[in-house]
Amino acid sequence: MIVHKGVSITTLLILALIVFLFFIPHLAGKYVMYMTMHILIFSVFALGFNLLLGYTGLLSFGQAGFYACGAYGCAKVLLVMPSLLPGIISGVLFAGVTALILGFLCIRHTRIYFAMLTLCFGMMIYSLAWKWHTMTGGDDGLVGIPRAPLEIPGIFSLDMTSMGNYYYFVLIVCLLAIILLYRIVNSPFGLTLQGIRDSESRVAFAGISVKNYRLIAFTIAGLYAGLAGALLPPLENTVTPPLAHWTHSAEPVLATLLGGIHTFSGPIVGAFLFYVIKDIIVRFTEYWLICLGIIVLALVMGLPGGVVSIFEKRLIPWVRLRFIERSPR
Amino acid sequence: MRGELVNWLSPQNNTPTLPSPFKGEGLSGGKRKTMETLAFQGLVGLSLAMYLWLIAAGLTIVFGVLGILNFAHGSLFMLGAYFAFTFYGLLGINFWLSILLSVIGVGLVGLVMERFFLRFIYHLDVAYQLLLTFGFILIFDDAVKMIWGGVFMIPPMPDFFTGAISIFGRLFPVYNLFIIGAGIGVAIALWLILERTWWGRIIRASASDREMASAIGVNIPILFTAVFMFGAALAALGGALSTPVRVVAPGIGGAIIIQAFVVTVIGGLGNLKGAFAGAVIVGVLTAYGILLFPIFELFIIFVVMAVVLLVKPEGLFGG
Amino acid sequence: MKRVTGILGVALSLVFILSGAVSAADLPGVIKIGGQGVTSGAHADYGRQMIMGATLAIDEINAAGGILGSKLEMKFMDSELKPAVAVKNARYMVQEWGAHLLFGVDSSGVCMAVGPVLPELDRIHIFCHASTEKLTENLVYKKGIKNIFRISVPVYQDSIVAAMIFKDFPEIKRWAGINCDYGYGRTSWALFKATMKKYRPDVEFVAEVWAPFWTGDFSPHLSAVMAKKPDAIFSTPWAGEAVMLLRQALLLGVFDQIQVWWQAMGGSVDALEGLAREVKGNKFKGKLWATARYIHNWPDTPDNKAFIKKYLKRWARYPNYSAETSYSAIYVFKAAIEKTKSLETAKLIKAIEGMRIKCPGGERYFRPEDHQAVYTVPAGKVIHDPAYPLPVLGELRVIPAEDYYRKPPFPPVK
Repeated sequence: MIVHKGVSITTLLILALIVFLFFIPHLAGKYVMYMTMHILIFSVFALGFNLLLGYTGLLSFGQAGFYACGAYGCAKVLLVMPSLLPGIISGVLFAGVTALILGFLCIRHTRIYFAMLTLCFGMMIYSLAWKWHTMTGGDDGLVGIPRAPLEIPGIFSLDMTSMGNYYYFVLIVCLLAIILLYRIVNSPFGLTLQGIRDSESRVAFAGISVKNYRLIAFTIAGLYAGLAGALLPPLENTVTPPLAHWTHSAEPVLATLLGGIHTFSGPIVGAFLFYVIKDIIVRFTEYWLICLGIIVLALVMGLPGGVVSIFEKRLIPWVRLRFIERSPR
Repeated sequence: MRGELVNWLSPQNNTPTLPSPFKGEGLSGGKRKTMETLAFQGLVGLSLAMYLWLIAAGLTIVFGVLGILNFAHGSLFMLGAYFAFTFYGLLGINFWLSILLSVIGVGLVGLVMERFFLRFIYHLDVAYQLLLTFGFILIFDDAVKMIWGGVFMIPPMPDFFTGAISIFGRLFPVYNLFIIGAGIGVAIALWLILERTWWGRIIRASASDREMASAIGVNIPILFTAVFMFGAALAALGGALSTPVRVVAPGIGGAIIIQAFVVTVIGGLGNLKGAFAGAVIVGVLTAYGILLFPIFELFIIFVVMAVVLLVKPEGLFGG
Repeated sequence: MKRVTGILGVALSLVFILSGAVSAADLPGVIKIGGQGVTSGAHADYGRQMIMGATLAIDEINAAGGILGSKLEMKFMDSELKPAVAVKNARYMVQEWGAHLLFGVDSSGVCMAVGPVLPELDRIHIFCHASTEKLTENLVYKKGIKNIFRISVPVYQDSIVAAMIFKDFPEIKRWAGINCDYGYGRTSWALFKATMKKYRPDVEFVAEVWAPFWTGDFSPHLSAVMAKKPDAIFSTPWAGEAVMLLRQALLLGVFDQIQVWWQAMGGSVDALEGLAREVKGNKFKGKLWATARYIHNWPDTPDNKAFIKKYLKRWARYPNYSAETSYSAIYVFKAAIEKTKSLETAKLIKAIEGMRIKCPGGERYFRPEDHQAVYTVPAGKVIHDPAYPLPVLGELRVIPAEDYYRKPPFPPVK
């Protein structure tokens, strides 16, 4: 819907949202800022996951393993070298390499076996994190991770100890990651992935190595999970093994389902809804699992397209009918 | 070498020194292991395996016939335990009757699950199946908390089971022997039903070709519901039988479903023989792992599963 | 597509922020106390007892006019035994709900995550259960996080006391360990072995097994350990797992073969209730020993008796140690606030450091070095006493805490 000189309403709204996010530290309290950071990190996590599910047709139940690799990698580096960029980059790379190796083993299978294999690899990482306590701190985890300054030696150094500063860092990094992923899925590579999801044999006949594409997608998903994980230690000060547990892997799955598997923004919307719903429910009752479970049931049974699809299929056409098509142009 | 690697990675290694399996140090501190100890440990592992077999059997049958991987199968195990505890521990009903009642009760839960929920998503992607059944896990976990309270519960052991028999020079609980017997009994019964009865033939036919079975007059919807109930009943049987020896608490379902997945993957999804073999392998290996490699216990079954999947992707009996 | 995200995002963000803003309102004259613990799963009783103990204290104090005229209000959240959840709860309680004081936390792993966040939140936290020595030795003494106070006994008591008792049993030479597979289990076993070796170099540690959380069946662990024919067993799994472990041990005939079984935290109410039948039937043959970080039949003081009577009347259950610690924690807050007449963190810290306060479990002294409360608790055999509906600890060994608590500079646990 073009409004003026090639700029659509959609773009305006997204820009408005981004501006709004930049103002959160001034508009809202510390807890909201903290939650927003978590939602941003979770969005990156879920987007990476959905690259595999929505675009490539592979359900991975072990993404939390790579998230944990990112978190532990970053934490280990920050503990010896308190500089933010090396920490984050190390975490991302560690997760990416792990994803490449494990992906190579997983990609040969599809569907159920792929899901179960990723589930079990994720749990392997969890048990390794728990058991190898000399390296990972065991169940106590790695403690005392500094919120290190963002610095390029010799050029500048930004102190990150205030939550506000770190918020902006997380916001910018996540926005960049989201934009990058958007470009990826809309590139020929992304289209090929969708082709593989829809009809594997046709793509193979076209001479494309399905396995390689899947492996690349898996690695990218792992890198994104690793980025999300790497942003966590400076925020929380500790990393612990439950980050790798399969119940954590289930969270991006649920969020993406909530928001919508077949759209780019679905995981982001779902991430937001997931956090907000849980946060609100928990204030009123301790039985939030059953509420979440009922929501999941309702969504799968009634709305497989997720929340975004309500808007796509019902609300937007209604809005268009009532407000836009009727008014004189 | 592992020791050196560990020291390099974390210089202040002030953890207690555990016996290193790489140097051949098991719990004995030496390389001798009596055959009796190994045999006994294997027997213990076998009794562990039977609970896994019961869940895996249900999971396998449901997958083989309906094509659905029921993530919530561990929760059905948990419900079986809770029901059995209620009838036997709280209401004082006869042990055997309690087991029967819990199995029926969870069968009814399975009926509701299949008839009103699962039936509508058969045509959807496997992702949705896993998600729907995961939703059930969340619901069941909270439901048991709401109904029975969040605390753990342990009922009394039925009197005729409180003894132990001397096997391999050590005392082996009678109850564990009973479990082994029950598991084997279920295996034989399932084999007989599937291979030798008319029902079994129909089930096998529907599993291998649903459309054809429907074409020759099999009422697929009713069959599916019945099979799902049967699978649920098996899981519940495992749970009910576990109550005298195990804690009944929310969350035991989540813990055991992962093990059940590993078992079915090792054995081959959809293959009952494989499920039994997988359960025995996982149970016995876990028991031996605890005896010989205490450090690696958590890790072992995942490694085995990964190895099997890489070497023979369809599982040991799959294909 | 993207406009959807925009509309959705803006609208829901506003709802989210506004809802937060409304609930953060601070009511004058009300002191808010935020607590958390595990209230679901096999370990749920500890969180629940914490709620019961704290509620009892708060209601008593409010009935007597509050603290300097201000009423107390409590919010208790489920930490789910997960560090991430506990940190989020702490932030929520302080930054959104407006808690002035924090207490609780059940597990060692969780307290290590919550501790470092406290300076940022600028609140003090009295830890009522988690027993890892790292909380006080590392976070308070070495890293200087002064916001942390622990009112419950540290792991010293579960492990060192065992060695102090059994060093005097010359016929017990072979020990085996069945330990829960996380920091608490590891440290307890290590401290026990180190202390034992000091007094009895002739003792051997013939077997050890490690059981993760959610171990359903301890029979393989038990049979692996019994294969080595130990004289005695040191065991750390707790709550529901302890009960299950002991019952499975009975089935395997363990109590016919060993001389002593030491169950850390075996004296806590949920374990005692779970074992009541077996204890009454003397199935453990007098061989089951336990620590109790608090036990209802000790100390035999009017304070303690009154506390138990009140607690029973209110909740129809015996108080667990997590109930006694949270009850006492509220009174520690009261004493500190009455002294400082302020809720300022720095002043409260000064007030509690060095404080001696009488509690149902005995007199506690908060030593300034690491903010650990020093007080004596007994250990003994788990026996049946007709005066009580659940087992008690008998043949009590009371070793003064000052005699065995580790002291600065806290050498590493080997």
